[in-house]
Amino acid sequence: MEQTIVELKHLSKIYQQGELELKAVNDVSLTISKGDFAALCGPSGSGKTSILNLIGGLDEPTSGEVWLDKTELASLSKSELAEVRKNRIGFVFQSYNLIPVMTAYENAAFVLELQGVDKQTQQQRVMQTLADVGLAGLERRRPDEMSGGQQQRVAIARAIVTNPAIVLADEPTANVDSHTAEALLDLMQKLNEQQGITFLFSTHDQHVIDRAKRIIQVHDGKIAGDDVRV
Amino acid sequence: MNLNTLAWRNLWRHKRRTLITASSIAFGVLLAVTFTGAGDYFYTRMIDAGANMGMGHITIAAPDFNRAPSSKKYLQRTEQLQQQLMQLDGIKSSMARIQGQAMFASAHKSIGGMFFAVDPEQENAENNLFIKAMVEGKMPVTASDKTIVLGVDLARKLKLTMGKKVVYTTTDKQGDIVSAIARVGGLFQTGSNEIDSAVALLPLHSVQKVLSYQQDEVSVIAVILHDQRHSHQLRDEMKKMNSFAHTEVLNWQQTQPDLAGMIAVDKSSNYISQLLIALLVAAGILNTMLMSVLERKREFGVMMALGLSPQSLFALVMLESFWLAVLGLIIGTIVTIPWYLFMSQTGIDLSAAYGDGFSFGGVLLDTVFKIRLFEESITAILIGLFTLSLCAGAYPAWRAGRVPPVESLKTI
Repeated sequence: MEQTIVELKHLSKIYQQGELELKAVNDVSLTISKGDFAALCGPSGSGKTSILNLIGGLDEPTSGEVWLDKTELASLSKSELAEVRKNRIGFVFQSYNLIPVMTAYENAAFVLELQGVDKQTQQQRVMQTLADVGLAGLERRRPDEMSGGQQQRVAIARAIVTNPAIVLADEPTANVDSHTAEALLDLMQKLNEQQGITFLFSTHDQHVIDRAKRIIQVHDGKIAGDDVRV
Repeated sequence: MNLNTLAWRNLWRHKRRTLITASSIAFGVLLAVTFTGAGDYFYTRMIDAGANMGMGHITIAAPDFNRAPSSKKYLQRTEQLQQQLMQLDGIKSSMARIQGQAMFASAHKSIGGMFFAVDPEQENAENNLFIKAMVEGKMPVTASDKTIVLGVDLARKLKLTMGKKVVYTTTDKQGDIVSAIARVGGLFQTGSNEIDSAVALLPLHSVQKVLSYQQDEVSVIAVILHDQRHSHQLRDEMKKMNSFAHTEVLNWQQTQPDLAGMIAVDKSSNYISQLLIALLVAAGILNTMLMSVLERKREFGVMMALGLSPQSLFALVMLESFWLAVLGLIIGTIVTIPWYLFMSQTGIDLSAAYGDGFSFGGVLLDTVFKIRLFEESITAILIGLFTLSLCAGAYPAWRAGRVPPVESLKTI
C-alpha cells in the first residue's frame, strides 16, 4: 500500500484584493504518495504555486486541511510550522535563493545546523550529498562564484540533505538553459529513483512535464486532471 | 554555520555602510566620554574648590549653625571629635575653624565681611583655597599669632598694606560685642571679587580668646574627603556615631545649596545633550539595520521556508546589531583613548578667553579645560551605548521575524 505523504482536503485559498476576492485555490483535494515524482502544471496564475505554498506551510488556507505525514498544518503554531519545514520538507526555489555569504558547503549544511546535527555527521552528509549532485570539489565556492546550474544543484543538495518527506520545487528549471535543465532533471530523477525522495514540482516547463511520472493539471485554482504515467 | 557567524558575515556584506554606522557609534563614544568626562572633572573641581573655601565636603557644626550662624553656637571637645573622624575610611583631613561676621576697620575706613579663624598646623594650600591664593606675606605661623590675612580687594578698600593694623569687631559666645587688633601678615587673591573684598583669615587661638571660647571650642569642623562622591554615605555614617549625636552633620549639598543646584541644572542639560547625541546614534543604527532587513526580506523568507523560526530570525538580526555595537565600541575606544589621555593630562587652555580663573556657583575655577572619567561613568557609557545599539536593532529584528514567509518569498 502506498504511503501518503501529503493530503489536501477541500483546500481553498482566497486572496482579498480590495473589494475583489481572488480564489487562488478552489476546493482542491489531492494526495501525494511516497516516491511520487509529480508536477503541478498549468498556466501562470492557475494556482499551482499557491498549492505549493500551502503544502509547505508557508501560507494559511482560507478553508480546508493540509495533512503532512498525519499532521494537520493548521493546528500548528508558527514555531511548530518552522519545525515541520525544517525536518520534513525540502524546498527548491526558482531563483536558487542560496544565502550569498555562505559557501556551497555551508548552504547545504544550513538546515542540518538548524536541526542541531553534530558537525561530524553534517560533514559526512553534506559531502556525500554534494558529491551526489555533482559538486564534489566546489564546496568552498560562494554562490557568486558558481553558474546558475551549479547554484541550483546546491539548492537541491540543501533540499535533500535532511532526507525530507517531500521536496517542493517551484519552477526549478525556469532560470537555467535547456541543457542545464535536462541535467538537473536527470539528477532529481536519479534521487527519486535511487533514494526514493518524493518530488512535487510546480512548472510549465515541458522538460519537467516530460519527465514527471504524475501530471496534475491545475486550472483556475482547481485540479483539472491527474494522470499517472506508467 | 551558526547564527553568530552568519550575523558577523552579514555585517560585512556592505562594508562601507557597516563602517559608517560603526563610526557613528564610535563618535558617540568620543562625545559621551568628552561630555561626561568634562562633567566628572568640572563638577569634582567645583565641589573640591567649594569645600576648600571653608565648609569642607562635610561640615560638623552646632545644631542650627548652618541656618543661622552665631558665635553662641559652637562645638566642644573638638580634638576628640577630629580623632573620631579620622577613624573613618575616606577622610582626607579635618580642620577646626571658627567662622563668623566681623567689621574690619582701618584708620581710613570700616567694612563688613566674614572671617575664618584657622589653625595653621591643620591648614595648607591643599585644603584651604585662601592659602593657595596667597600673593603676598604668609599665613600666621602659629594659631596664637596676632596677624590677619586679607583679600587683596578688602585690603585695598581699607587702604591697608603689609604690617598695618586692623581692628576687627564681632560678637563673642555670650553675644557681647568684642574687638581685637591684628597686623596684616598676608594678602590673598582668589580672582573672585566677592571673596577678595570680604574675607579675612585669622589665627584660631587668637580668635578663641577674643570670643571667650575654650581651646577645644570652634564653630565648625570642615571635613575634606578623598572622594567627594562619598559625602552622602560618610555623612550618614557620622550621623550614626554617638560622638556626633549633639552636632549637625551636613554634606556639601546642604551647606552649599547654590552650588549643588547649579551642578544639578548643568548636569541635566549635559544629560539632555547626551541623550540627543544618543538618539542620533540610535537613528543611524536603526536606519542601517532597517535597510539591511528590508533588502533581505526575500532571503529571510527563504530561511524561514527552510525552517528558521521567527525567534531565530529575530536573534539573527539582534546578533548583527550586537556585532555592530561591539565593532563601534572597539573603534570608539581606540579613537577615544588618545583623546582622553591628552584631555586628562594636558587639556585645553582657555585662559585667553577667561583670564586666570572664573567663578561658577560662587566657586573659583581654573581655566584649563580637562576631562576625567569616573570608573562608573566609563561603565555607564559603554553599557549605555551598547544597550542603545541593541535597542535600535530590536525593531528591525522584530519586523524581520514578523513577516510571513510567503510574503517575503512572493513565490517559493
